[in-house]
Amino acid sequence: MKITVSVNLGGYSFNIDEDAYSELKRYLKNLELHFAGEESSSEILSDIEARMAELLKARLTTFKQVVTIDDVREVIAIMGNPEDITDEEGPTRKEKFSRPGPHRMYRDPDKRIIGGVCAGMGAYWDIEPWIIRIIFIALVMAGGLGILIYLILYIVLPEAKTTAQKIEMKGDPVNINNIKEAVKKEFDTVRKNMKL
Amino acid sequence: MDLENTKAQMRKGILEYCILSVLSKNSCYASDIIRELKEAKVIVVEGTLYPLLTRQKNAGLLSYRWEESQQGPPRKYYELTDEGKTYLTELDRSWDELVESVNLIRTR
Repeated sequence: MKITVSVNLGGYSFNIDEDAYSELKRYLKNLELHFAGEESSSEILSDIEARMAELLKARLTTFKQVVTIDDVREVIAIMGNPEDITDEEGPTRKEKFSRPGPHRMYRDPDKRIIGGVCAGMGAYWDIEPWIIRIIFIALVMAGGLGILIYLILYIVLPEAKTTAQKIEMKGDPVNINNIKEAVKKEFDTVRKNMKL
Repeated sequence: MDLENTKAQMRKGILEYCILSVLSKNSCYASDIIRELKEAKVIVVEGTLYPLLTRQKNAGLLSYRWEESQQGPPRKYYELTDEGKTYLTELDRSWDELVESVNLIRTR
């Protein structure tokens, strides 16, 4: 016995096994990341969803009413993985990687001393956070203005929580590859900390 | 050099031209285009088609209308705009020139 989920894909309704559902969701999420930054990316995605719905529908009969993980995998193989979906018209691979992604200032919770404001500024401008900390300390000594500025920045700047935000903080383009890299880096840090 | 990669690059380059060619005969919905491209073996993964269609539409070469379908939700039918037709004529000419050039070199 398996739990099924009911989904609306491209205007069709499907009963889909839970594992098949997470596989499908993962694929569509990856596609979304792949086409992020593209003009009318939502239109491309809904066209792809409509086609996938059609392909899945063709795999169902009166005797087989639930979409299984094998169906989903077959359809994904037909549509192709995001890496395989490239074309001449769009930005080339190289351009895609060199094009700067969004660059925003966040508080960096990983390198914080107090609230991560200085660490976040350091990450944004790619300078050593201690330089900014020294400036702040100097401002505090010079009459307390530093505390006020720090408080305002602490309130205004959001904390970089997700991997995508951490990439934005440093100004790298957000795509599947460097999210993978960032996650791996984080994993390594955790592993190192565990050993200590 | 990787043979499969070179072949894939060659196919990709002519895909845009093939889509316009398919649509020059009559208006189709995406799955009809896919079927023709697959029969002609110019497309490997179907996902490649959709960003191209959307880009050609945004460039004003194609337009689409929604049409009711007996089998399910309404379908998007694509057709060439006048601009698309002119564009295709140009591509036809350049394709003929390319074939001629390649043949000339190969038979020399």
